[in-house]
Amino acid sequence: MSLREYFKKMKGSTKGSPPRVSNDEIFWSWIGAFLGISAVAGLNRLYFDGTDLSLMIGSLGASSVLIYGAIRSPLAQPRNLMGGHFLSAIIGVTCWKLFHAHPWLAESMAVATSIAVMHATKTLHPPAAATALIAVAGSPAIHHAGYLYVIVPATISPLVLLIVALLVNNIPASRRYPEIWF
Amino acid sequence: MMHEDDETELTDGDILDAMQHIPGYLDISTEDFRSIYHLAHRHAVERLFRGITAGRLMRTGIVPLQTAMTLDKAAHHLAGSGYKGLPVVDAEGIVVGMLTETDFMKRLNARNFMELLLKLLDDMYEFTHRCHETLVSDAMTQPIVTIDRNAGFTDIMKRFDSHPGRSMPVVDMDGRLLGLLLRKDFIAAYKPRNTDESA
Repeated sequence: MSLREYFKKMKGSTKGSPPRVSNDEIFWSWIGAFLGISAVAGLNRLYFDGTDLSLMIGSLGASSVLIYGAIRSPLAQPRNLMGGHFLSAIIGVTCWKLFHAHPWLAESMAVATSIAVMHATKTLHPPAAATALIAVAGSPAIHHAGYLYVIVPATISPLVLLIVALLVNNIPASRRYPEIWF
Repeated sequence: MMHEDDETELTDGDILDAMQHIPGYLDISTEDFRSIYHLAHRHAVERLFRGITAGRLMRTGIVPLQTAMTLDKAAHHLAGSGYKGLPVVDAEGIVVGMLTETDFMKRLNARNFMELLLKLLDDMYEFTHRCHETLVSDAMTQPIVTIDRNAGFTDIMKRFDSHPGRSMPVVDMDGRLLGLLLRKDFIAAYKPRNTDESA
């Protein structure tokens, strides 16, 4: 590959990005995300208020984009949602335990390894890399929780989002979820 | 890879239009879609035409004509074979030509069957004389268009397209006769049956 070709690649190859979705689609994405995050927030308040644990983490917002806003995407399927968060959480906690003396190494190892493992296990789910990063770069409470982080929030919260996605995404005639379970 | 020339190139507009018919956000770029389309198309074409080779479709048990035969003897052979043309081989068994009904008519200066019939009625002597005197090698169609036994769909198509004959001799690497590929057998071999993956 010549230098010219290398830079030419940066121009991109496509003229148009995918078309804007219909207003109906926007409406149902909004409803799904609203109900999904509400459900997680509600459960968090009911069961984890006043404890060191929390169901609410930033990566759930990103997961919501996929499972309520791009539901046909392979990245948004249950295997990816659940598997991605679960495996990345394990990797995140492990990286903290092994490398916490060097935060930069723990952080980059967590994200890079979770991407590799998700690729290898066909569970690629972009928001899950944030779950791994939060395990390392998050609050002292999260560090203190250790592998419990894998269950709360990294398994329970995506599970709540998944249940809401199944209930909401199958209401409109134009939507069906999931495409593939496993 | 077959048929790549015939493959329709999709524009970004085509793909975006298709995407608009599918509700929901599709996280695929038009370029990726195009790549998938081309690869899938190639796969489909190979599936549809898999198994179409000259060797599999040819008729075997063909008794060829010899270059040194006279036309009247060749005519009897041809009539007995049930084919409208037969391959001609030299002393070594190498295919050197085809002798067809059309070659007979050309030889007798007739453009079609009716003309031949009328000429025959007019001048029986001329007809028999010509057939006695002429050798197969002088009347046969040359240069010969043959096809390799392993030739696939595209090759066969190109060969049939390159000459007006209704059949082609199938030959081995040395040019020796293996069988006769009829155009009608080739056409009959393509059926949409192969749309099933398991076929």
